[in-house]
Amino acid sequence: MLTPTLPETKPIKLSVRDMAFSYGPKKILDGLSLDIHAERVTAIIGPSGCGKSTFLKCFNRIHEVAADVNVGGDIQIDGVDIYRGGIDVVDLRRRVGMVFQKPNPFPKSIYENVAFGPRLFGVKDRATLDGIVEDALRKAALWDEVKDRLKESASGMSGGQQQRLCIARALAVNPEVLLMDEPCSALDPIATSKIEDLIGELKESLTIVIVTHNMQQAARVSDYTAFFWLGKLVEMDLTERIFTTPRVQMTEDYITGRFG
Amino acid sequence: MNVAVPVFRRSRTSKVVDRLMRGVLWAIALTFVAVLILFVGAILKQGWPVLNLGFLTKMPETLDAGGGIKPQIFNSIYLVVLSLGISLPVGLGAGIYMAAYAGQGRALRFLRLCIETLAATPSIVLALFGMIVFVQAMGWSFSIRSGALTLALLNIPVITRVTEVSLLAVPRELKEASYGLGATKLQTILKVALPYAATGILTGLVLTAGRAFGESAILVFTAGTNASAQFPDFRLTVPGETLSVHLWYVTSDGTLPDAREIAAGTAAVMILVLLTLNLLVRLVDRAIRRRTR
Amino acid sequence: MPQAPEVSIAAASEGGYPVLEDGLSPAGAGAPAFKHSRLQRLADRWAHLGFLVCSLLVVGLIGGILYFLATRGLAAFLPMAGNTGRTLSFSEVFLSTDWAPSSDRFGILPFIAGSLGVTGLALLIAAPAGVLTGVFIAKMAPAWMRNLMRQVMDLLVGIPSVVYGIFGLTVVLPLVSRTWLADAPASGFAVSALILAVMIVPTIVSLSTDAFESLPAALDEGAQALGSSRWQAIWRVLIPAARPRLLTAMVLGLGRAIGEAMAVQMVIGNNPQWVALMRESTDRAPFLRALFTPAATLTTELVQELPNTAAGSTWNNVLFAMGLLLYLLTMVLILATRRLGRGKEA
Repeated sequence: MLTPTLPETKPIKLSVRDMAFSYGPKKILDGLSLDIHAERVTAIIGPSGCGKSTFLKCFNRIHEVAADVNVGGDIQIDGVDIYRGGIDVVDLRRRVGMVFQKPNPFPKSIYENVAFGPRLFGVKDRATLDGIVEDALRKAALWDEVKDRLKESASGMSGGQQQRLCIARALAVNPEVLLMDEPCSALDPIATSKIEDLIGELKESLTIVIVTHNMQQAARVSDYTAFFWLGKLVEMDLTERIFTTPRVQMTEDYITGRFG
Repeated sequence: MNVAVPVFRRSRTSKVVDRLMRGVLWAIALTFVAVLILFVGAILKQGWPVLNLGFLTKMPETLDAGGGIKPQIFNSIYLVVLSLGISLPVGLGAGIYMAAYAGQGRALRFLRLCIETLAATPSIVLALFGMIVFVQAMGWSFSIRSGALTLALLNIPVITRVTEVSLLAVPRELKEASYGLGATKLQTILKVALPYAATGILTGLVLTAGRAFGESAILVFTAGTNASAQFPDFRLTVPGETLSVHLWYVTSDGTLPDAREIAAGTAAVMILVLLTLNLLVRLVDRAIRRRTR
Repeated sequence: MPQAPEVSIAAASEGGYPVLEDGLSPAGAGAPAFKHSRLQRLADRWAHLGFLVCSLLVVGLIGGILYFLATRGLAAFLPMAGNTGRTLSFSEVFLSTDWAPSSDRFGILPFIAGSLGVTGLALLIAAPAGVLTGVFIAKMAPAWMRNLMRQVMDLLVGIPSVVYGIFGLTVVLPLVSRTWLADAPASGFAVSALILAVMIVPTIVSLSTDAFESLPAALDEGAQALGSSRWQAIWRVLIPAARPRLLTAMVLGLGRAIGEAMAVQMVIGNNPQWVALMRESTDRAPFLRALFTPAATLTTELVQELPNTAAGSTWNNVLFAMGLLLYLLTMVLILATRRLGRGKEA
């Protein structure tokens, strides 16, 4: 395993050691170890089917909603193993927010979508809720577009707006980590660039892990890039190094488009 | 714009509510399992002492104890077979029309509406219709033919629906391959689509038979509450009391001294028949799944 | 019922029938000229008509039932040929609680109220239990429990109504009467509604399971990714999102309950005594006692009295009017499910 070598001032937020993932008899990830630093953007790239989305979903254990899965090894957030018996999965998911591949707003109003999370944790006071909703929408660069139609249904928004709404929704519960699973794959270039700008602003206060199939996007938005292939980590380094002087031949072949 | 974002902590109540509701949902589901076991258990337990070869093979008594249910068993089977014989062609035809000819427009929506309405029509209403048309207007009185025709009305929407759904599930490629060989539409339906859909339709047919077997409201008013004294009596013009009607009639009429026992035994026989049918459907289903895997 | 996929044989055959031209052999000289016989072509053309006739038969049945029930049911209110009975006014039938056919009084309000009461009570039990069981099967139960529940529901829906009736009569009624009523008879709304609830639960369960299973997985994941507990995601996202289809499930359950005749007839007591109880009662809450007092519904009254009346008599006509009412109600309910379905797409 190859790790980045630059002196890093930010602490390690997520650490993965010798992790394996299987779904029934099928092994999807194996022998993974890497560190993710706080207030940095880490991009995960690789050909489809390499397990990068699966890897992402291990950080908030969301794959457990749909199926019986088996995770081995060790994943820690701030030094605490998130697969340990005593951990509260629900609280973990509050701390580790997620934005999905396709925008998935609830069939409710814009306001109710953002207020959904705080309400889960018992926030009832209207003024507090209003404040949280506005704050989250501003952080997601959506406030000015929707402030006059907060009561309208979220399903009437454009795809890009819906995705930023989902980001606002995730931000409203004040997460420490934001997982983004190909957040722009369903969006047009303009909406994509808005989301990319947003990622740059959000990393001031958040740890961001983004899975993307778009290498230019990884180059634009991330500080670190990890390259996955067939369920294994091939190389992880500072993004500029991965894209200029990768140490593994396979990485170079992939980013120059020779396979994948 | 800097809002003091509260610290979001998962409250104890939310944890407790989650635990509680998981428990409640499990409890509700298990209640239904318990209800079914209790139900079948009670019916079989009550009927067990009565169930013997004599009960199944004797003619019923009108005033004395010790009667059997031989003609009712025959009538139940006879009426199910006759009613399926009437409703199968109609249901198949209508199902084929809806799946293959009606297109996607208004006509199909209207047909679906009619099928759903017929499926939702209470059997007592079908009974009234059968009574007016077959029993009175046609002058057929309470008879096997009045009963079979009215019972067919109950089956038609189910068979139509199951035919339509099964035909729609036939892979498009199969139909296209048949057309590609120059088959006509009718040939494609009869030789490719229907055989593929046959297992689904068959399963639906068994379930329909089960429903017709248990039906009582319709038959009280069309096939009557008397069974022929001959056995076996294949005539369509005689009254034909079935097991379910017999069960209801002896209970509410009250002239038989052993009405209770007769009813319990009849109920047990019906439950056993339905359990068998259900098992049959399951076996067929499993066989199909194994074959298509 | 599951929604059919949007495929049709008709769509596959667009562009006409692939019929070969006479005398032209597609494979060139030497190969036999395959063509459909005249008979096959005729069959193809006429089969269409045959299938159409079957469909029209169903449409005709809907109209036919309406027509025949109306000729008999409306005879209670309109002078009609062959009618030996008295002509009644709508109000003395539908708005009166006075049912004494032998004294020529035909108020059916007690039966309408009875039908609504017993159906409402049954739905009160079956709707929440059915929807929760649906969400349990679709979103919570492990695979073995899911299979078990499906089998249980299949069996419950297959049990004939007379067997439900005999169970109510020989097990539930004695049990209730012994435990709570100091051996007084227990016939009435409560036990009827309980039996009915079990009878309609499979309908509600199977439709609501479908409703929850057809929701996009992203909704559930989205809610849980924000830190919803299992129940919070169900209560705040999944149930609201599935609402139109859940309501449809309840309407169809209601339809089944209101039309059920035999099982209810065996346990309800078949005499609207509860009306007199409510009217004459001096205590402040007679409702609880009314639940265990004999009652009657539209369907049970039909089963009970139709065999004893002569065709064309006033009494007989009023009974058919009750049947007509039930049929019209079915149509209204089915149209209501259409409305609900349309709301879903908006």
